[in-house]
Amino acid sequence: MTQDMLLTMVSGVPWTIALTAVALLIGVVLGIPLCAMRMSKLVVLRMVANTLILTLRAIPPIVWLFFIFFGLDTGYVSLNPFQAAAIGLGLITAANMAEIYRGAMSAIHSGQSEASMALGLSTYHRFFDVLGPQLFRVALPSAASYAIGLLKDSAIASTIGVHEIAFEASHVSQRTFRGLDVYAVAGLLYILLSLPIAWASRWADLHLRARVAR
Amino acid sequence: MSLNSSSITQADVAPKQPLLRLDAVGKTFGTHVVLEDIDLSLAAGEVVAIIGPSGSGKSTLLRCINQLEPPTTGRVTIGDTTIEAGHTPTRRELMVLRRSIGMVFQSFNLFPHLTVLRNVSLAQERVMGRTREQADAVSMQLLARVGLADKAQQFPSRCSGGQQQRIAIARALALDPQIMLFDEPTSALDPELGLEVLSVMRELAEGGMTMIVVTHEMRFAENVSDRVIIMADGRIVEQGPSGTVMRNPQTERAQRFLHAVKDR
Ligand SMILES: Nc1ncnc2c1ncn2[C@@H]1O[C@H](COP(=O)(O)OP(=O)(O)OP(=O)(O)O)[C@@H](O)[C@H]1O
Ligand SMILES: [Mg+2]
Repeated sequence: MTQDMLLTMVSGVPWTIALTAVALLIGVVLGIPLCAMRMSKLVVLRMVANTLILTLRAIPPIVWLFFIFFGLDTGYVSLNPFQAAAIGLGLITAANMAEIYRGAMSAIHSGQSEASMALGLSTYHRFFDVLGPQLFRVALPSAASYAIGLLKDSAIASTIGVHEIAFEASHVSQRTFRGLDVYAVAGLLYILLSLPIAWASRWADLHLRARVAR
Repeated sequence: MSLNSSSITQADVAPKQPLLRLDAVGKTFGTHVVLEDIDLSLAAGEVVAIIGPSGSGKSTLLRCINQLEPPTTGRVTIGDTTIEAGHTPTRRELMVLRRSIGMVFQSFNLFPHLTVLRNVSLAQERVMGRTREQADAVSMQLLARVGLADKAQQFPSRCSGGQQQRIAIARALALDPQIMLFDEPTSALDPELGLEVLSVMRELAEGGMTMIVVTHEMRFAENVSDRVIIMADGRIVEQGPSGTVMRNPQTERAQRFLHAVKDR
């Protein structure tokens, strides 16, 4: 394995990180209204949210990416591969985050809401001062393991031409007719990227867990 | 006593408005009637204990008073705010109501992600508009009053159950409520820890706080409260001065209940 090959593959790392980060950000943010709709008192909102979540999760990510990249590219919208991949993975992440939030919500004791209301806190303060921070802490471990999954799944963006790790690896492999060591290096890169996420989540979990009501 | 003095007492008492009044309050979950036709009025400084078998609706009654559970019938009046069943109270009315009424829960319900001090300060800032400094100063006084000033910077999880419940009392008192509601504040505690909570409550009562206490502590009901209400099946089956009700209940249902718990 030459230095040149290695460098080519490492050049995919920033794209993998960027794609994962953007998709995660989209998902973490859009997951909030989606979860709120899912838990709404209004049947219509609940039905819309359920349908969205089901559709986003039931269709394989690669089909979503093709659909967004090739399907939406009809002249009006023109997305580059990175944008298409970020939007596709971001929406799928939103659906999954909505479910993670919902699980976390049910893990927070109902007494927290009641105590907030009895103290006269408004809905806004109840959410941002009391429930939100606890939700964050409860949701963190599942969100982190989802993030690691997303990091790996971002490899499918290679199929629409995002120059991330898997894309560069297959490129190098085709150019040099070598498979074993090239893909081993690619695998190693993914491991190296996911370790910090796992560590950070374990650290945060240990330090924050004690401060959530059970 | 002369006729004269008794007529003065009449005149003194009659115009005095009760602090809290419930008129024909009822609560139904689906078809399950949990509270029926509850009338109750509470004068300033009065301490009322509510006792009764499990499932008789004691918690639901407290929760109807501060609208954590909206009653299905009747009216709740506090000061000059009346909340009528069936009409969703405005945000303002709810705010007035909840600022006037502090509540302490069986399971403490402290905010685990905030320090003890922040637990007591939060609502003062968000609801009363006090600054952080003002709120913290009030909180420190209250924590000192319940004997926990040294815990201010700790997180609730580092405090014993009895300490947590005293913090919860300080948190409720921080909004200067006119009435305090307690829902079995010692039931989740070992007897010894329960005692430290009861003694804080006794001091509050002696300090003139108006209180409604749902409790299984028969001694507290008899010795600290002015009035005892016995509930069964969603109704008030007997009420009166604590000594009389506890030692000499008139209704068969009350006698049966007190007999069953007399060893506690
Ligand atoms: N949210 C609810 N939905 C349906 N039923 C409820 C609800 N809350 C309470 N109940 C029912 O109302 C009845 C009275 O409950 P409540 O908690 O007020 O009793 P309690 O007197 O406080 O009992 P305990 O001494 O066990 O605390 C019970 O039968 C209970 O199952
Ligand atoms: Mg109860």
